[in-house]
Amino acid sequence: MPDIEAIADRAASATPHGVAKVVRGLSDRSIAWLFVAPTMVLLLAINIFPLIWTVYLSFTNFASNRPNRPVVNVGLKWYQDILSSPEIWAAMQATAHFVFWTILFQTLIGFSLAYLIDRKFRGHAFWTTIILIPMMLSPAVVGNFWKFLYQPQIGLFNYVVSFFTGIPPSSFEMLGSVTLAPWAIVIVDTWMWTPYVMLICLAGLRSIPDYILEAAEVDRASRWQQFWSITLPMALPFIMLAVLFRGIENFKMFDMVMLLTGGGPGSTTELASIALKRQAFEAYRTGYSSAFAIILFVVVFGLANVYVKALNKVKQR
Amino acid sequence: MAEIRLEAVTKNFGDTTAVANVDLTVRDGEFVVLLGPTGAGKTTTLRLIAGLEKPDEGRLFIGGRDAAPLSPAERDVAFVFQQYSLYPHLSVYENLAFPLRSPVRRRDEATIRKTVERVASMLRIEKKLQNRATRLSGGEMQRVAIGRALVRSPSIYLMDEPLSSLDAKLRSDMRLELQHIQRDLGATMLYVTHDQIEAMTMATRIGVLDHGRLVQVGTPREIYEAPRNVYVATRLGMPSINLLPAAAFAGQPMPPGAATIGARTEHVVVGRTTQGRSAAAKVDWIEHLGDQNHLHLSLGEHKLVTLVDPDMALSVGDAVDLSLKGALYFGADGERIAA
Repeated sequence: MPDIEAIADRAASATPHGVAKVVRGLSDRSIAWLFVAPTMVLLLAINIFPLIWTVYLSFTNFASNRPNRPVVNVGLKWYQDILSSPEIWAAMQATAHFVFWTILFQTLIGFSLAYLIDRKFRGHAFWTTIILIPMMLSPAVVGNFWKFLYQPQIGLFNYVVSFFTGIPPSSFEMLGSVTLAPWAIVIVDTWMWTPYVMLICLAGLRSIPDYILEAAEVDRASRWQQFWSITLPMALPFIMLAVLFRGIENFKMFDMVMLLTGGGPGSTTELASIALKRQAFEAYRTGYSSAFAIILFVVVFGLANVYVKALNKVKQR
Repeated sequence: MAEIRLEAVTKNFGDTTAVANVDLTVRDGEFVVLLGPTGAGKTTTLRLIAGLEKPDEGRLFIGGRDAAPLSPAERDVAFVFQQYSLYPHLSVYENLAFPLRSPVRRRDEATIRKTVERVASMLRIEKKLQNRATRLSGGEMQRVAIGRALVRSPSIYLMDEPLSSLDAKLRSDMRLELQHIQRDLGATMLYVTHDQIEAMTMATRIGVLDHGRLVQVGTPREIYEAPRNVYVATRLGMPSINLLPAAAFAGQPMPPGAATIGARTEHVVVGRTTQGRSAAAKVDWIEHLGDQNHLHLSLGEHKLVTLVDPDMALSVGDAVDLSLKGALYFGADGERIAA
């Protein structure tokens, strides 16, 4: 083991005279600040400042494609416009539909898969890996890939549906139909992210010690009772955590849906983030889209906060 | 209440044999304690009876019925786990009420309330009923775990070191409490411990386990006074029995074939004067316990520990004379030879 003091002495003698003199004059607290400063500066520059700047822009008529136009303060105009705009409400509704159903399906299927795979059976590690594959793909790949699966003439999805129901495969278009498209994106997101929910639920189920379930068994609880009064409540904090992660992720869903439907047909799958991108980078209404971003931020932040409070309450038990 | 009968029961985990060919009958209303160190197969024996493990060989009867096809629930046993096994998300009240809410035993809320409150006051946790199970001290958790077994009237109580994590004071209170409960209910109880005091004070009979084998079964007196072999002899007695080669007390009369002398403290007579058949020893150390003194002695190259009166004026380095009175003798194979 090297002598710590010898190392300290060597470091001291190697420090240039001027630096040593300055450092010696500093208190421990200021040295601590010096070490933290780079992170703080970085955070301020790329996180805090843009946020504040967005708030400022949301009150102006600034457009990023016309940087030289005089910037005028428009007050709460954009907020008024957004909250009374039917397109924005449609986008919010599409988002709510998407978030609600993806979470519901992913939680139900994910938890069921976790419950099944938690029993030790031959090759359960292999199957776990297989199930996790969709999650490891890039959303862009998934979007393009499902575009083919949904193809009415040659797509596997339509073929499988027709195989089981007898409906001719080319009689429906998952991505082209106003009624089916919102469900098409729910199906793809569920396919992709159920494994993730399963993984978190599996961690929850594994956290229940065997002896608790053994005690319930000796206490003559039925399987049904064991599940409802032991397994589910004890795994609940994990399930809620999975719901939180998926909820936040899907609220800002962009890439997969953009590649799959581009928001269409019409604007049926135009989720909030897609609408936002259109306003910001196609219509170049920077002020308007800033206000929209702020509204989205407040909504997500508020919902997440309420949810985390509930989660903590469950976890405390 | 019911009797438990194990016939030649064996359980292996991979290459290790946890329980080997155990024959044991726990009679109706009996309090049997299984005693043995860690890894002796005590817990596995309980788990086999509860149905949480299946025996590889042998048969198990509960109340005269072959238990092999019965699930843990059907066996109607109560199990107190060493790790408490409380349901962490439930209150103390709900933990105690849980077995009563079982579909086979569905009771109305008023009966449940009455039963839970009776057991809670018996275990002195009635003030904690609304607490979360995880917001209790170790002793309280253990009492809730015991309470969860007591709210039911199972055919047998199985207890896996239920007092091991309590402090000394609470442990001795709970020892008495458990004995009273067992006697009042007329319960059949199989209790596992590595604590010899628990075994001695509570058991109707003690079973001593060694590496999965049941070495001896008998009343506490029998086990203490007539241990079958050296292993059983070392399980009981405080301070533990002194094992000395027969040659150390060459002058004493001994049964033929004796290779080892087992001298408990009451077998060792410490004297200041030489009386014919005695051996000379030196005082190494004295521990004062108040009512008694622990005397650490060396007899030639052998060490032994015994108890003496605190008013016996001895100090470190003193020479004393030792003689034996009614010691135990063991043959070269470790089996006891009757004197």
